[in-house]
Amino acid sequence: MDRRHVLKGIGAAGVGATVGPLAAPAIAQGVKTIKFVPQANLANFDPIWGTQYVVRNASQLVWDMLYGMDSKLQPKRQMVESEEVSSDGLVWTFKLRDGLKFHDGEPVRAKDCVASIERWSVRDGMGQMLRAIQKELVAVDDRTFKWTLAKPYPKMLMALGKIGTPICFIMPERIAKTDPFKQIEEYVGSGPMKFVKGDWKPGAMAAFERNKDYVSRSEATDWFAGAKPMFVDRVEWLIMPDPATAAAALQNGEVDWWENPISDLVPVLKRNKNIKVDIADPLGNIGSFRLNHMHPPFDNIKVRQAVQAAISQEDYMRAIVGSEDALWKPCPGFFTPGSYMYSEAGGEALKKSDIEKAKKLLKESGYSGQPVVCVVAQDQPITKAMGEITADILKKIGMNVDFVATDWGTVGQRRASKNPPAQGGWSMFHTWHAGVDTATPVGNIGIRASGDKAWFGWPKDDQVEADIASWYDAKSVEEEKKIADKINRGCMENVTYIPTGFFLGYQGWRSSLEGVTSGPLPWFWGVKKA
Amino acid sequence: MSGYIFRRVLAMIPVMAIVALFVFSLLYIAPGDPAAVIAGDQASPQDVERIRQSLGLDRPFVVRFAEWAGSVLTGNLGTSMFTGLPVTELIKQRLEPTFSLMFVTLLLAILVGVPIGVVSAWKAGSWIDRLLMAVGVVGFSVPVFVVGYLLAYVFALELDWFPVQGYTPISNGLLPWLENLVLPAIALGFVYIALIARITRATMLEVLSQDYIRTARAKGLGERAVLFMHALKNAAVPIVTVIGIGVALLIGGAVVTESVFAIPGLGRLTIDAIVRRDYPVIQGVVLMFSFLYVLVNLAVDLIYTLLDPRIRY
Repeated sequence: MDRRHVLKGIGAAGVGATVGPLAAPAIAQGVKTIKFVPQANLANFDPIWGTQYVVRNASQLVWDMLYGMDSKLQPKRQMVESEEVSSDGLVWTFKLRDGLKFHDGEPVRAKDCVASIERWSVRDGMGQMLRAIQKELVAVDDRTFKWTLAKPYPKMLMALGKIGTPICFIMPERIAKTDPFKQIEEYVGSGPMKFVKGDWKPGAMAAFERNKDYVSRSEATDWFAGAKPMFVDRVEWLIMPDPATAAAALQNGEVDWWENPISDLVPVLKRNKNIKVDIADPLGNIGSFRLNHMHPPFDNIKVRQAVQAAISQEDYMRAIVGSEDALWKPCPGFFTPGSYMYSEAGGEALKKSDIEKAKKLLKESGYSGQPVVCVVAQDQPITKAMGEITADILKKIGMNVDFVATDWGTVGQRRASKNPPAQGGWSMFHTWHAGVDTATPVGNIGIRASGDKAWFGWPKDDQVEADIASWYDAKSVEEEKKIADKINRGCMENVTYIPTGFFLGYQGWRSSLEGVTSGPLPWFWGVKKA
Repeated sequence: MSGYIFRRVLAMIPVMAIVALFVFSLLYIAPGDPAAVIAGDQASPQDVERIRQSLGLDRPFVVRFAEWAGSVLTGNLGTSMFTGLPVTELIKQRLEPTFSLMFVTLLLAILVGVPIGVVSAWKAGSWIDRLLMAVGVVGFSVPVFVVGYLLAYVFALELDWFPVQGYTPISNGLLPWLENLVLPAIALGFVYIALIARITRATMLEVLSQDYIRTARAKGLGERAVLFMHALKNAAVPIVTVIGIGVALLIGGAVVTESVFAIPGLGRLTIDAIVRRDYPVIQGVVLMFSFLYVLVNLAVDLIYTLLDPRIRY
């Protein structure tokens, strides 16, 4: 027994008695609790209104899904017992599993699913596609609902089981009827954990308690698919803004699991025999050099191609992950390396940095020294690292760099501005896309090229848009792969954006935990604590 | 005296009004968009715009300010744009950790800083004085987070005497509460101790050269009585002033200390709100800190009258 525990004992037994009932511990003895340090603060808790990854990651504990994606990215039944699709592909009928209950004791009914789908579909890309062809979405009885479409939608199950935000979580009808652009105020789901609203201190802690009434599936656990057995009573999310503090807390046994240790601290964790470290998400991330296609100089394709030719993905990746080779790989493509859609078609320009070619292209473009406004978030280590490489490359090829060092909150606002760069707009910014989103066109917002309606930067390429649309109608994986090649080539030629490489991150946990898996988000089901 | 207090309390009203207008205007012109943060990276520009409208951020400055100021007058600081929780509730959640940290730091700084200053003045020019003042220079020079990391490494990771992070409410027992505060209070108090020690030394040196001190010694009073009964009491006014000014230092330092030791206090609430552009929370916290600072200044002024009977308002 060390001095700290002696102090704790004296304090609890002696002085604690003097403060009466207030001294009672909040958590009963013998309760198994996982203390988890998430990637960010859980500042809100509505997975439809706020689509940050951290909200999704917490929401998966509380709200269940109709379908869940397995590790092969195939949607599997979760709340649904069975589905039927008419021979013309226009009418889908879904039947819920028996015995599903919300945390308030009410059964999960088909009308809850209808309301939840309605809310989700306003905010989600695939949902919006479905809304556009929806004729009717109705509850047939308590366990059955029917979705009638004007044209077939082969990716229906993928839409309902997708991992990228926002996920189609099922909420009680009264909550799901909330305007999708307004935040819900009740956090009642039917998932394996209940949200403890009274313990929620945004910026400090969020807590979840086991839902004893959860009806788990019988199939083996595989990401969002199959059984979701909870072997602990409580999960506490402890927000630690400082990575060094999180590392020390993990080493000291004050927390059990840290979602995203920064690469600088990983060697320290690896040296501790009580800590296990592994790749957090095998689907990783793709770094992005996002260009503004609306204004000079990047409205000129030759200028975009010049920058593309100058890019050295290795420089970017080393700036992000350091010297560890296992944490990065080149990515001359727009889909997740390792996924069935991954393609390098047209990606030759990104395989080797060629400064001379870049200078030549820039000269041909007629670039006349307009400032390139690089809006770089300094509070995000990844964007900061990429921004410094970018400034160097642009200067090397002879561009006039206006480096705006700012924070992510400002980038979020400024990138929405369509004004010219000199009038509060921008020329480029850095971000990154999660591999789970870029695995297919579903969540791959960066490749959309619908001009004014596309993601920030507003690239326009009708052929790429047509190819993306054809992917949704594809009926086989082979057909999808061919389309992936066309999309990749099109995006490379148009320089929709410039992928700066593929990188991975670690997670770390105490060896007292068993069953921690790698995946795009931390799954708590199946995790045991000794 | 009561008339003076009443006038000072009245004077707080325009001060708080100016602070409110200043903070609101500053946030209005500052770059950043809470709607973009809420919507997340995957959101379309159209979604961001819809969220901005639902939060009322598309309305004119005057309308927004009038609405906010009106609700502040009724004691309602608004609702967080992100959590949907009332700002008063968020502040309430964080008051105890921050005030605990400030209280322990203040106590530690006074209990350590004043004796150091007295001893230094008493032994002015000796090696003890030089050593103590050298420690003071270190206290001024080393940033809070460096001291914090060093303390955490030695006393938490290596010796396992204290936890690395977190906060235990005082309702769970005095020692568990203190256990979480020792390292942060030392880290935060380091500069404060140095400041108090230097001011105490300087003031004491001046007082110790006065005739009445020589008289006290000539009468045969012991050194302890001379130093603490006669000299320190007469040197107290500048020391109390510095302690009062130091509250602002503590507020600033608490932001860093709370991050290093993961203490869920007001400092972290402020930083989180700034990063996300959660305007109602930023405004509420700044108003509260301003109010606190004005109150501390009032308290300092009142303490003067207790320490020096010549001061009357």
